[in-house]
Amino acid sequence: MTRQRTSGNLTLALLAACTFAGRAQGAGVPLDEIRQVLREQALRAPAESVLQDLDAANLASGLQAIDPAARYFPRALYRSPNRGRDSMSGIGAELLPSGDDLWLLPFLGGAAAAAGLTERARLRTIDGRSVAGLSLDEIAQRLRGPEGTRVVLGVEDAAGDTWRLTIQRRSFHPLDVELVQPGGQPVLRVREFAAGLTRPALLATLDFIAEGASRSKHQSIILDLRDATGGDLFEALDIAALFLPEGAPLATLVARGGVTQTIRAPAGADLEQPLILLIGPGTASAAEILAGILRDHGRARLVGQTTYGKCDSQTEVRLSDGSVLRFTNRAVRLPSGEHCSGVGIVPDLAVDTATLNDLSRLVPRASGALVAP
Amino acid sequence: MKPSMGWSMALIALWLGGCASVSTDPRAGGLAGGIKGLSTGAYDARIQEREDRLAVLRQVQAELETERGDLETTKAKRKQQVAAERARVRRMNRDIAALNQRVNSLSAAANRNDQRVQTLRIRVAQLQNQSARLQSDLDALEGSGIGDSEADLRRAQLEQQRASLQAEYDLLNRMALDLAR
Repeated sequence: MTRQRTSGNLTLALLAACTFAGRAQGAGVPLDEIRQVLREQALRAPAESVLQDLDAANLASGLQAIDPAARYFPRALYRSPNRGRDSMSGIGAELLPSGDDLWLLPFLGGAAAAAGLTERARLRTIDGRSVAGLSLDEIAQRLRGPEGTRVVLGVEDAAGDTWRLTIQRRSFHPLDVELVQPGGQPVLRVREFAAGLTRPALLATLDFIAEGASRSKHQSIILDLRDATGGDLFEALDIAALFLPEGAPLATLVARGGVTQTIRAPAGADLEQPLILLIGPGTASAAEILAGILRDHGRARLVGQTTYGKCDSQTEVRLSDGSVLRFTNRAVRLPSGEHCSGVGIVPDLAVDTATLNDLSRLVPRASGALVAP
Repeated sequence: MKPSMGWSMALIALWLGGCASVSTDPRAGGLAGGIKGLSTGAYDARIQEREDRLAVLRQVQAELETERGDLETTKAKRKQQVAAERARVRRMNRDIAALNQRVNSLSAAANRNDQRVQTLRIRVAQLQNQSARLQSDLDALEGSGIGDSEADLRRAQLEQQRASLQAEYDLLNRMALDLAR
């Protein structure tokens, strides 16, 4: 699972126009400030000896030894995660290693989708060469290229059909909420929770569906969170609140020393449609917290596989030189009191991996979950 | 003998030609069929059928023209909506920049550790980021082929996101005004 997440992030960085860099740039790193922030604000206070061992040359590994989610961003390389996904350039797909397979996850509106790849598929060849035996870096290198250039991919879809497609690399703007309709059933796909942006995009998409078809007020909503790797915690809480009555407990944030703060649903949309969430090992952080909240309130049926297992939240502190330190400062407890880190959220209806990867099979199973006893 | 034999052959050929066709289309009918049609009224029926068919074609053409016109109108309307949305976001960006300056002044005047000012600074910075992305998305949408379903969904999302950010701006602006008092 660790490999999956790490690699997923790597791929995003390689395919996106704007990238993070997780390494420090040698000299000039404000180490004392970093130590001070972690000493005072990290969820679990690090041992002083560990803090003193931090050095500029190995900052990334040193930080991760303290907190696996901790990152340092030099000023020039910092990009706020609150922006959501910026314009991307390339083949318009994420690369997700899973077991022995390498999956391509196309973005709606991207180059891969324009070439006909609208659902996830296993990547088999690049320009006629098998990807077997190639490292992720080598694969990413072959997939990258200037805008306007072409690459021929051999893929195998979830049903096992193989085909070749020629993709012309181009730039595009990913949607905050994608709408796919396998078998005519609308499915809203969220990959990231961008502060202030994902919730209105979700509402707009629901309105869009309602306008486009004579959709019943009570027709179910299917949210696809299989590839939602997290994002802004409060955006996820705001989305949970859309489906819950005012005052419903959403989560309890636990800070250093056991200081707690319970967040409750504000007055809002109180959407009444039956809700199904598609989850899997790629569903992490804010996304699995959303799933856990709605499950605890009996408001959604969870279909898929157990989630990644990270119910902590991070914060960012800007240091005096403009660089940014991100670190874990709160644990998140679900309304039931559960803390999902290291455990994940278990689905109400578990499906095998082949079904999880095939939306056209997963959606009928998920729809059936609503009526099943 | 020879000429009359020739005419007989030609008539037989025409007669067979007429028999070979069972179509009611006047264009496909042979001479005999035509002659026969004149006397039975079938020719009038064929003319009527042809006129009916033409009327249907004209109707379809008119509907297509209307549809095309509707699509053009929708496209133009969408373009106007995107342009209006871009103008709103530009205006909001100016307002946020002004708010940012006010918050910076507040920050300089107040105790730097004032938690409320710090919170405001963070939220205004976040709002600037979000609004900048919205602007970029709208610019890209205007440059793309407006009118398909995906573009319509994109526009709907951007409109709602802009409204949401505007509400956030109004809230932060009120907070800044309260802090300035």
